[in-house]
Amino acid sequence: MSVTRRFLQGLDNPIVVKEGVSRMRTWRAPVVATLYLSLIGAVGYAWLNVDIGVTQQSIGAVSASAIGSHAFAAMAFFQLTLISLFAPALAAGAVSGERERQTLDVLLVSRVSAFGIIWGKLVASMAYTLLLILTALPLFAAVFLFGGIDPSQFFVSQLITVATAIGLGAISIFWSTLFKRSLAATVMSYASAFGLMVGTAVLSTMLMATQFTAGRGTLIATTGAQTPGLPALWYLNPFFSLYEVLFPQGYAWPTLRTFLQLLIFGPGAGGYTPIGGPVVEPWHATVVAEGLVAVACTIASVWLLRGRRTRPRRRVEPVAQEPA
Amino acid sequence: MIAVDHLQKSFGRQVALEDVSFAVPKGEVFGFVGPNGAGKTTTIRILATLSAPDGGDATVGGVPVSENPAEVRALIGYMPDFFGVYDRLTSGEYLEFYAACHGVPRRRRARVAQELLELVDLTDRRDVAVDTLSRGMKQRLGLARALVHDPQVLLLDEPASGLDPRARVEMKELIRELRRMGKTILISSHILPELEQLCTWVGFIDGGKMAAAGPMEEVRDRVTTGRRLRIELAQPSEEETERVAALLRDHPGVLAVRPLPDHLEVAVNDEVEDEQLLSALVEKKVRVRSFSQIAGDLSEAFMRLTEDHRGS
Repeated sequence: MSVTRRFLQGLDNPIVVKEGVSRMRTWRAPVVATLYLSLIGAVGYAWLNVDIGVTQQSIGAVSASAIGSHAFAAMAFFQLTLISLFAPALAAGAVSGERERQTLDVLLVSRVSAFGIIWGKLVASMAYTLLLILTALPLFAAVFLFGGIDPSQFFVSQLITVATAIGLGAISIFWSTLFKRSLAATVMSYASAFGLMVGTAVLSTMLMATQFTAGRGTLIATTGAQTPGLPALWYLNPFFSLYEVLFPQGYAWPTLRTFLQLLIFGPGAGGYTPIGGPVVEPWHATVVAEGLVAVACTIASVWLLRGRRTRPRRRVEPVAQEPA
Repeated sequence: MIAVDHLQKSFGRQVALEDVSFAVPKGEVFGFVGPNGAGKTTTIRILATLSAPDGGDATVGGVPVSENPAEVRALIGYMPDFFGVYDRLTSGEYLEFYAACHGVPRRRRARVAQELLELVDLTDRRDVAVDTLSRGMKQRLGLARALVHDPQVLLLDEPASGLDPRARVEMKELIRELRRMGKTILISSHILPELEQLCTWVGFIDGGKMAAAGPMEEVRDRVTTGRRLRIELAQPSEEETERVAALLRDHPGVLAVRPLPDHLEVAVNDEVEDEQLLSALVEKKVRVRSFSQIAGDLSEAFMRLTEDHRGS
């Protein structure tokens, strides 16, 4: 079967339709969406008001673009936090839930492939997350009108959020396939999300501190100059990438060359003005890393699920022995 | 249609199946009988491509389960002993979902669902959420689900477990209807009287070993030694019953006599001819209202077989 046909078949996946219908019939779907939008709206509104007040008191004038960029950043960070909380919750019960409901065996006896089941579960759980992100776009657009954020920043900030959602969704589905119980899968999914969102930041900071105290690196944050020894781990942290996108210090659009360099050589030694390595913006690394994690977790999940079915075995023909 | 040949399966040190062999011809209803933990579900799961055997072969419609599981899946409809439902779907949506999973073209799915709901008598529940159905209705819906792709073979693991008497009767009727439709059905149960009325072939399994398998009558004849007769008297007074019981006990070939309130049960060996016994009673002025043979009981056959099997 051609890759295109397989992809098109993947889109026409009964599991996606069934999951979508089931999810949207619960009271939770509209409540979560309402809560999500209300919280992001409230954060944006509060930030605008506080920022306007503080700016008026301190310098007596209000810079719309500065206030707009700050409010946008606050909302984007808050959205990323919410998505990192929602994505595991939406995906962690995907396969283990089928097992607990005793519907998995019946599904495995159907013609849907193991890939079709995992892909369907991933798309279904991501569809709701993407719906949340999409519904929040008008809120971001309203703050965008204040200025201070250019369209590329707007786009990249949403891209980082979507990539994070997909990465965390795929990780959660992997745990859901590995563990029999949804509780264990949920705990591991949140542990993974914590590791990605907070663990990478803590470890990176510790690495930087170690470098600094060892005198092998110079942490020059006070001078605003570049950080020559920025640990590569920072590049995996979506919050760091988002910060670098919204408060750029040498921001550059990715090129095909950049991606190829990233894939072949990895991130350069330097952050923005690298020493001896190719230019890689943190968000390039984050998006690519999340994509790779999603692919790896999907492959692993499919492999685990295939193990629950009888796999085709070739009949070994007995070798005719020649007469002595 | 189904052939199981020297099947073996272990879970760690626990041997689940040990040299299990049987065959089910096309269009027959095979009763797979055994106590809990005998290996019925393990065998059915291997046939359903959900578990790989450690040894031996299993084929469905001539297709080896281990070599071409995808083709086998197209041939079978599987109903596990316990199965859940998607509680936020209606009965119609539930069947359409599985029809899609089995590759039924989109334009045919609604019609297939409607026809199957008619078959299992749930047409009026088409738009009702599945979780509001009774257990019996869910079992019938599960059977309809196993039929969405019109499989030739049905693997039904304890389909009547947990059902009330009425639901059991309905389930039996459904299975008879499916046999009339030409389906080959493997049905496991430990409720023997139900299978006796349904099945044309039978297989006894105990402790992972097959004790017997074949056409129902053949297995019954093979297992049952001697016959049992039921004699109903025209004047069943206590004295008359005792007199007739004594006469029967003196008759050659009679093994045992059991006087019951309204009739006598007589165990005889295979050499006793019914006409001779009846003539002997009539000669002794016994007024007989009815004289019939009690059919061999599947439960009895099963008990004997498993006792022999455990003893061997």
